[in-house]
Formats: sequence, structure tokens, C-alpha cells
Amino acid sequence: MSDAENLVEVGPASEFEDGDAEIVQVGRAEVGVIRAEGEFYAIRNQCPHDGGPVCKGNVQKELVGEFKGTGKRVDQQYSDTDIISCPWHGWSFELDTGIHIGDDRIRVPTYDVVVDDGIVYVDKGD
Amino acid sequence: MIDAESELVVDCDWHYQDSFKEVAEYMPEPWYTKYKNSNWDDAGVKQNLSSFFPTSTGDRQNYGKVLREHSNYPEEPEDPERVTEGMDFLDIDVSLQISHLILAMGGVTADDERVQAFTKGYIEYMLEEVLDPDEGVYGLAPMPYGDVEASLDILERVEDEEAYVGACFVTAGASPPLGNRKYDPIYERCEEMDFPVVYHTGGSGLDEYVRAGYQEMIETHTLGFLESNMSQIVSVACQGVPEKYPDLDIVFMESGVTYIPGLVSRLDEEYLKRPEEAPLLDTRPSEYITDFYFGTQPLEVSARNDLLELCFDMIGTDRLLYASDYPHWDFDSPSIINELPMLDDDERRAILGGNALEVFEI
Repeated sequence: MSDAENLVEVGPASEFEDGDAEIVQVGRAEVGVIRAEGEFYAIRNQCPHDGGPVCKGNVQKELVGEFKGTGKRVDQQYSDTDIISCPWHGWSFELDTGIHIGDDRIRVPTYDVVVDDGIVYVDKGD
Repeated sequence: MIDAESELVVDCDWHYQDSFKEVAEYMPEPWYTKYKNSNWDDAGVKQNLSSFFPTSTGDRQNYGKVLREHSNYPEEPEDPERVTEGMDFLDIDVSLQISHLILAMGGVTADDERVQAFTKGYIEYMLEEVLDPDEGVYGLAPMPYGDVEASLDILERVEDEEAYVGACFVTAGASPPLGNRKYDPIYERCEEMDFPVVYHTGGSGLDEYVRAGYQEMIETHTLGFLESNMSQIVSVACQGVPEKYPDLDIVFMESGVTYIPGLVSRLDEEYLKRPEEAPLLDTRPSEYITDFYFGTQPLEVSARNDLLELCFDMIGTDRLLYASDYPHWDFDSPSIINELPMLDDDERRAILGGNALEVFEI
């Protein structure tokens, strides 16, 4: 259990639908708390590309491809990984890790989310 | 019926067999002098890429400006001895021969067998008459890639021939582009054979590959070569050829080096916004492309030195292969590399020969 002093209250979990995002201030950073497939994620609401509001972007499964053999079409399917795409330019990040789906050297900071007694909190991580 | 002989008859379509030789005498300057200096024959046509009324701006004759022998396409069939003479002239020990006629294969859009027939004949002719590993004369086997089966036949034919050390894909006019899965079997076979795939540009004078309406060779020779290579680099990288065939050595020839940083920078920008459209890539396209090898000719020695240095740094001196393009009019001598101030001697040796020996396993 996180130290209560480190928790920033977001709101009742029951008010979130999948794909909803709530922006809260965590220290000097804007953080988006997002629900996807019933899980809560929290990532910095600032795209490392151009500062866009990542957390206001589309949440969806990551489309991945697999080489199925010489001469075959690349098999493209949606994976189990939830991603969010910055609404400004489409830079897309794994919700769980904040890692850019095309280059794992690029990362948006992520935060732990705690749901306690029906209330969602972001852990400042201090 | 009338008696035509005694009637007035008007022929509305008679073709006078005019010759440029005669008409040129009456043409305004500078065209009269340009014609005289251009070595066209009486019909105004020297060879397929050179004529006064062109379907192409690809005339290397340059209105008589470049007078060196063989700077244009030859009037007479090439003499194999000229290869070793040229190698002596440039002080080159090993050369990889490619067909110059095959550079126009992209212009064949009909579903016939001209390209296949030519490449099969070329393979045998070169083996019989020209290639000679003992003299350092090796060949690249042209791929009639529009016909995958015919390409595989050629690879089968040359597999055990020491004289052939790679496969050559002409980049001009390839449709679909060369990253398409259609070509997978050729790449798979090349990887299996340890045969580097050499993409060789074309497109100067093949104007419609770029944009119709250019007037001069300076325009199409600058853009056509770049466009042809760039479009295939983007296709090969984005469609994941290096991921599908990770042991395949990929080489791009004859567009200099300065286009690479610009292209990969732009492609990376696109990729970071749309990576799901290149789903086989694990990271930025630039990281794959800078694993490709690049022929240096025509090296942009007039560019700012710090730009050239940046290009060499981005591509890597272990990825650059000296290429002369001899005997074409814009050939590069080895001194072009040797005199670059930013290289150390080991890098000079690598670019001038060491890298190629490794890639082509010579």
C-alpha cells in the first residue's frame, strides 16, 4: 500500500468508463488517469514530441504485424496491449509503461494508480 | 472510274525523309552548334538514350562537352579488354560489372519476356567473354524481378559461379516497389546464397519516372537517380525486408551520400507518428537503413566538408563502398575517397576496398 501522503485523489472509480481520462495535477506535472479494459493507468499529459496533451488522445489496442513467411502478407492484428495516441500528431505510447510503440527509447513518465475503497488515487512516487 | 493520271490528286500525308545533318545547317544558334557537337548521326539519333528529338533528357554526350572516350553509351560493342584497361587507368584491382543496358528495363511495361531473355543472355555472355576472377573482374547478376521465377532461375544458374558475387536490382521503374512481398522469394534465395542484393539506381533520362517536362539532363540526372533509389529504400525498409531476411546484405548504388541523412530523418519523423504502418520494424527505419551499404559515387565533393563528414558519420565508414561508375561521364576515381580530409587511413582502406571484400566475400 502506498504512503497516503503520496496519493493524489482523482475521484470515484465508478465514474470512469473505459477510455475515460481525468487530468489531475501531480506536483508540477499534469497527469492523466485513464481507464482501459477495466484497468487504471496514469501517465504524464505531455507528449515528448511537441508537448501535446497525450491523455486526451484515443485509447485502443496496438496494431502489430507478424511475418508469416516468404511471399505471404504480413499478418496484422490488434494485440492485448493498450496504447494511447497523442491527439496532436499520433505519437503512441503503451499505457502500462509509457513507452513509444515505435521506439522504446522514448518514454512518457507513468505513475502507479491505487484504487482504495472505490476512490482512484495517483501515487506521486515521492 | 476516272482516269487518275489526268486528274488533280492531292496526297495529304507524304513523309519527307529529312535528315538532321541537312536541317541543322539552317537551325538557329545555339542549337546548330549543339547539334554539331553532339555526335548524333544524320537521323539525329545516336543510341536509345540520345537524340535531338528526345523521348528523354538522358544524353550523356552533353552537347559535346565531355569528350572522353566511352563517356557516352558506346557506338561499337564493348571490348572486354577495355575493362582491364579501365581498371589499370583507375588503378583498381577488383571490379564488379553490371549491365548498362539493363538500366532501361523499367521502361518495359508489357508482359513479355524481353527482360528475362536479355538477362539470361547477359549472364552467359559475361561468363564466357568478360568476367575473370583471376583478373579481379566479377559480376552482379541482373534480376528480371518482374518475373520472380525467371529471377530464381538466374540465381540457380550463377550460384556456383565464382565470377558472380551478387544480384542487381535496377531501382528505376520498379512497380510495385521492391519492398513488396512479391519479391520475397528472390530475397530469400539471395540470403540463402549469401548473395548481396545491390539496388542500382537509374532514371536519368527516363523522365516520366520523375515528372514529365524537364528540359535538361542536369534536372533529371539529379532527381531521377535520387528518386529511384529513395523510393526503393523507403519501400524495402518500411515493408520490413531487413526483418524478414536479417542476414541479407543490402547495397544501394549511385546516388552519392548526401540524400541519406535527409531521407532517413524524414522517414523517422513519419515512422514515429505512424509506426503501425511499418509493423515489422522494431525501431526507427534509420537504424535499418544505416545498416545498408551505400556506393559512394557520385560523391558530392563540392558540398560543405562538415556536411560530408556528417553523412559519413551517419552511414558509417564501415558501410560505404567505393564505386567508380566507370566509364560513365561522371565517374569517380579512387582519389575522390583518398583525398577526403575527415577520414583516417584505415577508413580510406575500408571504403576503397576492405568493406567490399567483406560484403561480396571476394
